[in-house]
Amino acid sequence: MKIYEDLRPLQRRLVVLQAVMVTLMVVLLGYFWHLQVLRGRHYRELAENNRLRALPIPAPRGAIFDRKGRILAENRSSFNVVVTTERRQDLVASLGRLDRLIDFDVSEVEERLGRKGPRFRSLVVKADANEEEVAVVEARRLEYPETSVDVVPLRAYPLGEGTAHVLGYVGEITDRQMESETFAAIEPGSVVGQAGIELEYNRALMGRDGMRRIIVNSRGLEVREEEKTSPTDGPYATLNLDLDLQKAVVEAMKGQAGSVVALDPRTGEVLAYYSAPAYDPNLFSSGIKPEDWSRLVKDPAKPLMNRPIQGGYAPGSTFKIVNALAALQERVITPATRFHCPGYLAIYNTLFRCHKPEGHGSVDLRRAISLSCNVYFYNVGVRLEIERLSRWAKAMGLSAPTGIDLPHEASGLFQDPEWKMRALKVRWYPSETVSVSIGQAMTVTPLQLARVAAVVASGGKLARPHLMRAIGGKAVPVDPPRDLGLRPEVVAAVREAMVSVVAEGTGQRAKLEGVAVAGKTGSAQVVSHARLEADRKARELQPHGWFMCFAPADNPRVAMAVLVEHGTAGGTSAAPVAGQVLARWFGVRAIGPGMQPPADTVPAPPVPQVARAAAPAESVPGPQR
Amino acid sequence: MATVAIDRRLLHNIDWGLMLGVLLLAGIGVATILSATAGGANAGLNVKQVWAILAGLAALLVCVSIDYRRLVDQSPWLYGLSMVALLYVLLFGPRIAGTRRWILIGPAQVQPSEFAKLVAALLVARVFAEVRKESLGLRDILGPGAAVGAMAVLIAAEPDLGTAFTLVPMFVAVAFLAGLRLKAVLAMALLMAGLGGLGWAFALKDYQKSRIYTFLDPSLDPKGAGYQKIQSQIAVGSGGVVGKGYKQGTQSQLGYLPARHTDFIFSVLAEENGFVGVAVVLGLYLFVLWRALETAQLARDRAGALLAAAVATLLTFQVVYNVAMVAGLVPVKGLPLPLMSYGGSSVLSSLLAVGLILNVRMRRFAN
Repeated sequence: MKIYEDLRPLQRRLVVLQAVMVTLMVVLLGYFWHLQVLRGRHYRELAENNRLRALPIPAPRGAIFDRKGRILAENRSSFNVVVTTERRQDLVASLGRLDRLIDFDVSEVEERLGRKGPRFRSLVVKADANEEEVAVVEARRLEYPETSVDVVPLRAYPLGEGTAHVLGYVGEITDRQMESETFAAIEPGSVVGQAGIELEYNRALMGRDGMRRIIVNSRGLEVREEEKTSPTDGPYATLNLDLDLQKAVVEAMKGQAGSVVALDPRTGEVLAYYSAPAYDPNLFSSGIKPEDWSRLVKDPAKPLMNRPIQGGYAPGSTFKIVNALAALQERVITPATRFHCPGYLAIYNTLFRCHKPEGHGSVDLRRAISLSCNVYFYNVGVRLEIERLSRWAKAMGLSAPTGIDLPHEASGLFQDPEWKMRALKVRWYPSETVSVSIGQAMTVTPLQLARVAAVVASGGKLARPHLMRAIGGKAVPVDPPRDLGLRPEVVAAVREAMVSVVAEGTGQRAKLEGVAVAGKTGSAQVVSHARLEADRKARELQPHGWFMCFAPADNPRVAMAVLVEHGTAGGTSAAPVAGQVLARWFGVRAIGPGMQPPADTVPAPPVPQVARAAAPAESVPGPQR
Repeated sequence: MATVAIDRRLLHNIDWGLMLGVLLLAGIGVATILSATAGGANAGLNVKQVWAILAGLAALLVCVSIDYRRLVDQSPWLYGLSMVALLYVLLFGPRIAGTRRWILIGPAQVQPSEFAKLVAALLVARVFAEVRKESLGLRDILGPGAAVGAMAVLIAAEPDLGTAFTLVPMFVAVAFLAGLRLKAVLAMALLMAGLGGLGWAFALKDYQKSRIYTFLDPSLDPKGAGYQKIQSQIAVGSGGVVGKGYKQGTQSQLGYLPARHTDFIFSVLAEENGFVGVAVVLGLYLFVLWRALETAQLARDRAGALLAAAVATLLTFQVVYNVAMVAGLVPVKGLPLPLMSYGGSSVLSSLLAVGLILNVRMRRFAN
């Protein structure tokens, strides 16, 4: 038997324990009140975010057609193998399993995985998978529920390289683009235009993505679909481009670097637009492979460069047309004005040479343009003076972007006293005017030169070149061409002279049967004469060949500028390209010297390389050739 | 003195109110487990839980049939047995999820630490019942402190920090009731803090540290150690006032809640039954724990009072810690909710604990 115990001190202390217990329970209850009643809405939202996923259904971009409704860019269904999971370790395991089934770059996928935030919905393991891979994955749908095949629209360009620089290409929006104004409010992961028309009209071409709201479990796997809105296709676009002409251009430029732009001189509509060498824009559609990208970037031929609007070349003798128009308009000369060409002009203590050492003798404007006499235009330029020449050059769209609806257009550079003082803080020397007179010491883009041809062709109207004709069937408004105020007889005289260039002058290889072509040749020096003399055979030192033209001469429907890089003389390199293209356009035979009589199906091959390199610059081809 | 057979008079003195509360909690537990495991790989565990409860009730019956004073007397032996079992688990137990906590007996997994803590309660009740001083100093608690500490170390080494830590408030509470001076209580608290610091530096495993770091800032690792806390809070909060409905909890049914039928069972309850359900269940726990502490008040002797208080503190700590963990107030530790969480050892141990309380209470008049 136990002795009596005094339990009272213990019982007093027990009260403390009881109080602690009750307090703790009440505090807990209070905290649940806070969580569930006061903040219930907040947590309900979090729970909804947990279980609901909004998956975009990408909308196909609008198809792009040429002016006659022929397809230039379309969408095809492609298959993406995707892995959907919320937990990284599951994902790594999935990748390991997939690696045994299909061929893909595990390290590249893991690298992308590292870039994304902690919350990803699905990871594209293999874009544009082939049928065999799709079958392999689909067959294991039950074993690997986290792996699935998505059908996504993929941009396809049937002409490939043929329309690379005009249409551009598409790709997933980059982080940098996400921050820019142009791409504001576009969802991450969206496919957007990255160049060309695709970039310029990105918003217009994008459809409205659809959306699937699904309930997912903690592994990120779909449990069921809650709602679905279908995507809306982007509206189709119609370009001014003419597929036939574009194809003819691509063919004619085969194997050569350079650029061809053809405009409708009456409106500025771009009928053909080509930059060579080009790249295959289809490579970008499902994400370009790093090796393909680095090959494009490192290629010394610069296939990514958009030559018609980004290339800056000296216009050379083609500039004589600008000089002639300005001098006639300013009444410095008349078509009958004659200058004597002894093969050089000695002025300002300098000897300026003509390309024909023995000289052209006494020539009028028409013959000077036809034979491309330098001395004639030295004299014209000196009399016209740099200020007026500069004003007219700029009036005809030089030294400023043309405003074509393509991104990243360069402006070219026309040097004049004002520019020289501002940029170099040096005053103008009169002798510089002499060089400017024949298109030296300046750069133009091929598109600008095509526009100059269009000015002559249209009787003195400057139009803004534009590619987009209509979006969704609705015509895109364009500014009407601006009249430069050139007198009709001025334009007529220059046009007549340009006709004689093709008929009997330096541009005879652009001659067509039954269609009068007006043109002007030119060559743009790449290096000084001295260096060229030292190494006559090196192709990369050869001047670029120019040919600007329009046809038919009396009722022009097309104005064109052709540039053949390192083509030496425009008459032998660029003029044949123009001849071949125009022949195809008008459905007639090219009958210029050296042009093979073209069968309807066999296009004329470009003039052999050796022959061009050997031809002297700006030489007049013999009439019998 | 009743020994094995139950005295009919004693049966009459069983606290049926307490029993009712306990059975209600266990029943709500089974229903919640049914919801938490529906359709998954764990479906059917609610049936196993019912069997565990029935076994627990049988054990409870055996427990109340033995006078608690005999149990208290035998506590040194039981302590030795427990230590052997804990050592055995540590040395030879199967490794499950990186820990050695279980002994396999046939198809059943038994977790010795669940029972060892009850033995610890018996032991401290015995030791402090025999100390007959007006007030105790630190020196007086050294012996029992070392005994309980050794047990805690073995459990912590499994590692099972949650259960090991359960012993601390139990020991402090009993020492306090036995007359430990307030100064000594403070000193002990300081000592604990110091040991905690040392433990942090040397004993804690990286996953344990990272759990504590992410507890302080769950967004550090929303998919890792902070995941459980965040998901549990979302489940609880999104339950709102009346809950999403039985078996309708999105967090639990879609698998966002980890360990939802075991340690986070309360989270499922809170999501599906809302604040109303939480208030009911916490009310039931308050009632049960209150009756347990009341038993300590009513006990006829020091040993009974200390035993009832020790067991009540064990239960209180587990309930409070588990519920606070579910609410995201304390770091996640593997500590089941007594009576409700799925798990045979936990249910058995909880019902045995109730049995000890009933044992003391029904013998409060007996001489």
